[in-house]
Amino acid sequence: MTRIPITGIGVVAPGALGVSAFRALLAEGRSAVAEIDRFDTAGLSAHTAALVRDFRPKDFIAPMKMRRMNGLSRLAMAAAKMAIDDCGAAPGTNTGVAIGTAFGPVQTSVEYMQEYVEKGAALAPPQLFAESVANAPGSHIAIELGLRGFNVTITQRESSALAAAMYASSQLAKGTVDAALIGGVEEANEMLFSVLDRVGALDDAQRDGIVIGEGAAVLVAGAGTRAPYGWLSGFGIARDTTATISDWGTGHESVAAAMQAAIDDAGVTIDSIDAIYASANGSRRGDALEVRAIEALFGAREPNVVATKGVFGEYAAGGALQLVAALLGVEHHRHVLVNSLSAGGGIVCAVISRDAE
Amino acid sequence: MRKPDLDTRIAITGAGIVCSIGRNKEEVWQSIVDARAGIGKLTRFPGETFPTDIAAEVQMERQALSLSNGGLRARRSTRRLSRTDLLAVMAAKEAIEQASANAPLPLERTIVSTGTSTGGLLEGEDYYFRRIVRGRRRAPVSLVLQQPTSGPSDAVARTFNLGGGVVSNATACASAGAAIGMAADYLRSHHADAAIAGGSDALCRLTYSGFNVLQAVDPQPCAPFDASRKGITLGEGAGYLVLERWDDAVARGAAILAELCGYGASCDAHHPTAPAEDGRGAEAAMRGALAEARLTPAEIDYVNAHGTGTTLNDSAETKAIIASLGTGVPVSSSKSYFGHTLGASGAVEAVVSVLALTHQIAPPTLRLRERAADCTLDYIPDTPRALAMQNILSNTFGFGGSNVSLLFRSVS
Repeated sequence: MTRIPITGIGVVAPGALGVSAFRALLAEGRSAVAEIDRFDTAGLSAHTAALVRDFRPKDFIAPMKMRRMNGLSRLAMAAAKMAIDDCGAAPGTNTGVAIGTAFGPVQTSVEYMQEYVEKGAALAPPQLFAESVANAPGSHIAIELGLRGFNVTITQRESSALAAAMYASSQLAKGTVDAALIGGVEEANEMLFSVLDRVGALDDAQRDGIVIGEGAAVLVAGAGTRAPYGWLSGFGIARDTTATISDWGTGHESVAAAMQAAIDDAGVTIDSIDAIYASANGSRRGDALEVRAIEALFGAREPNVVATKGVFGEYAAGGALQLVAALLGVEHHRHVLVNSLSAGGGIVCAVISRDAE
Repeated sequence: MRKPDLDTRIAITGAGIVCSIGRNKEEVWQSIVDARAGIGKLTRFPGETFPTDIAAEVQMERQALSLSNGGLRARRSTRRLSRTDLLAVMAAKEAIEQASANAPLPLERTIVSTGTSTGGLLEGEDYYFRRIVRGRRRAPVSLVLQQPTSGPSDAVARTFNLGGGVVSNATACASAGAAIGMAADYLRSHHADAAIAGGSDALCRLTYSGFNVLQAVDPQPCAPFDASRKGITLGEGAGYLVLERWDDAVARGAAILAELCGYGASCDAHHPTAPAEDGRGAEAAMRGALAEARLTPAEIDYVNAHGTGTTLNDSAETKAIIASLGTGVPVSSSKSYFGHTLGASGAVEAVVSVLALTHQIAPPTLRLRERAADCTLDYIPDTPRALAMQNILSNTFGFGGSNVSLLFRSVS
C-alpha cells in the first residue's frame, strides 16, 4: 500500500500566517470570523466572514512579479514558498502541482468586466485576462519554482482541495512525478458574498448557514528533509444522487460509502479511525446528512468528530485548511478521516495516517 | 492507497460531441469528410464591439439545447443550467446512450470528470450587466448559480443519476485532456467502475474579448501551420467519452470503440499565457503518453495536434513533435473546422480522434495554403486522408503552460 508523506505545509489563513500560527489558532479554538470591513454588506442579510488580514504579499513575492498576479495567485504563491521553506529542501523539476479552488478568480472576472464596460471590449487589460483563468495560481507557482510535472487545477466546490490531493496522490502513486505541491486557494469578495447571501446560503440573524472563509494552503508531498506531518493513505469518492443543484441531499448511504471507500483504499480497519475531521459547515442539510452517515458507518463506536470550519469558515483555502488541520491533528491518532461533502452531491473522503505503514 | 494499474486496459465504449460542425458524431464526421468548416460571423453577442467578428458557434439557442436534452419533461431541471452545462449534458447523453446500447452502465459507480475553463461565465456576465442596471439586491441570482466551473460535472451527474462522484478540472485549455486522463487513472485504481469524461465550454464575452486584447485572434478563419496564420478562431462545444476497464466492458457486452492507453501531463513552467518556444513541455507530455502506453515513437501513426493557429503554438508544437516522434508522422489540426473550444478542446478533439481511428481516416487541416517556414511536417492539407492507424496522439495545451497528451489505440 502506497502512502504519500506530507513534509511541508504553508498556510495563509484567516487569523494565522504560517503553520505554527495556524496550529496555535486551532489549539486555542479561536474563531477568525468577524464583521466584514473589506466590502460593503449594507442591505445584505449576512455580515460576517473569516478574512485573511495582515498578509503582505511583498514579503513573499518580488514587486515586478507581484504586479502580474491577482489576489489568488499571491495567496497561493506565499503559501507555496512557506511550504517549501517548511519542508527543508526545494523540490526538483519533476514535480507536479495540483491546486483546488471552489470559485476561482471571480474577483478578476468582475474587474475585467468593469474595464470591459468602461473602456470597451477591445481595450480591457490583457493582464487581467491572463489572470482570469482558475489555474493562474498553479501556473505562477510552477514558473517561480521551475516545476515541470503535471499542473492541474480542480474546481469541485467545497471538496476542491481534497479532490486536488486525490489527483496528486494518484500521480505520485503511479510514479509519473517525484514530488507534488498540493493546495487550495480562495478569496472572499463582494460578488460571491452577495450572491451566496441572496440565495440564503449564509449564516445570518434569521437562520443557520455557512460562513465563508478564504486563504491558501500548500502541502509538499514526496520531497523535503523534514519528518512527515502525516501520510495521505486513502481516498474515496461518491455522489449523493438525491442532492439538488445548489444544496445537499439526504442520501447518507452515499456519504458512508465514500468514507468506507477511503478506509478500504488506505487498507486500514474502521476501528483504527480515531478521529473524523468533519465536513460540518453549519448548513442545515449538509450537517444533518453527515451526522447520519457517521452514525450509520461507525455505529456506537463513534470516533472524535472534529469540526474546524467554525475557526476559518467554509471554502477556506479551497478546502485545504481542513486538510491541514487534519494533518496537524494526526500525531495524536493512528488514522483520521477527512470528509468533504459538496452542495450538489459530490463527496470526497480521505484517510490520513500518522505512520508510514 | 491503490496505484493506478497500468496493466489495466481502458476501453472507450461511448462518445458524444457537439460543436460548430455538428450536433452529434454523425454530423461532425460528415462535415469532416466533406471538408466543411463551421466558422462564420459572431452572432452570440449582438451589440458588442470586438476587434474581430468571426467565431465557431454552436447554432442552437438555449431552448433548442434544453429540448435536445430530453424535451418538456426535462425543462424544469434544465432551467437553471448554464449554456456550458447544457452543451455538456447534450454530449454526455450521446456518449451514455451509445455505451448503454447493449447493456446498462453501472450508474451507481459511474463518475463524471469534466474539464471547463469558463463554466457559467456567460450567465455570470448577464448577471453582472443586470446588476449594474438594477443593483445587487434586484438582479436575478438564478443566472449565476451555475457559474462555478463545477457546473457541467454536477449537471451531467444529476441529469443521468450518476452516483460514482464528480470532479471538475479548470486548467484552462488543457482542462478536458486532464479530465480524461484523470478519469482513466481513477478507473485503474478502482475508485469507480465507469467514467463519463470530457469537457464543455460555451463562448462568452470575457474570453472573446480577452483573446482579442491578447492579439491572439485571427481576423480570418484560423489557418493552423500556414505562413499567414495570425491566431485562433474562438469556438464552443462539448465532448464526452465513456471509459471503462476493458474486462468490465467485455463482460457486460459493450461495443468497444477504441482504447485509451496513454496519458502524459507536463508544465512548461515558462509564462502565464505563452508556450515555451522550444516546445519542451509539449514534448514531455507526448513522451509521457508514449511511456505509459509502452510504445516507441515509430508506432504513432497520426497526431491530432493542438494546432491553434497562433504563431507561437504551431511553431513550438512542431518542434515538440519532431523531438518526440520524428519528422515522418502525419499531423493535423481539427481546430481548422470548429475553432478553439477552449476548456472543451481536449474532449472535442478526443472524440474526433476516436472517430478518425474507427473510420481509419485522418481529418485534414483546412485552409493550409502555404506551409510556414517553421512548420515543416506533413499536416494533411485540404482533404481527409485514408490512413492505416493503430496508435494516435491527441494534444491539448493551455494557459500557464499546462500540457496534456492522450494516446488512443484502434481496437482492430
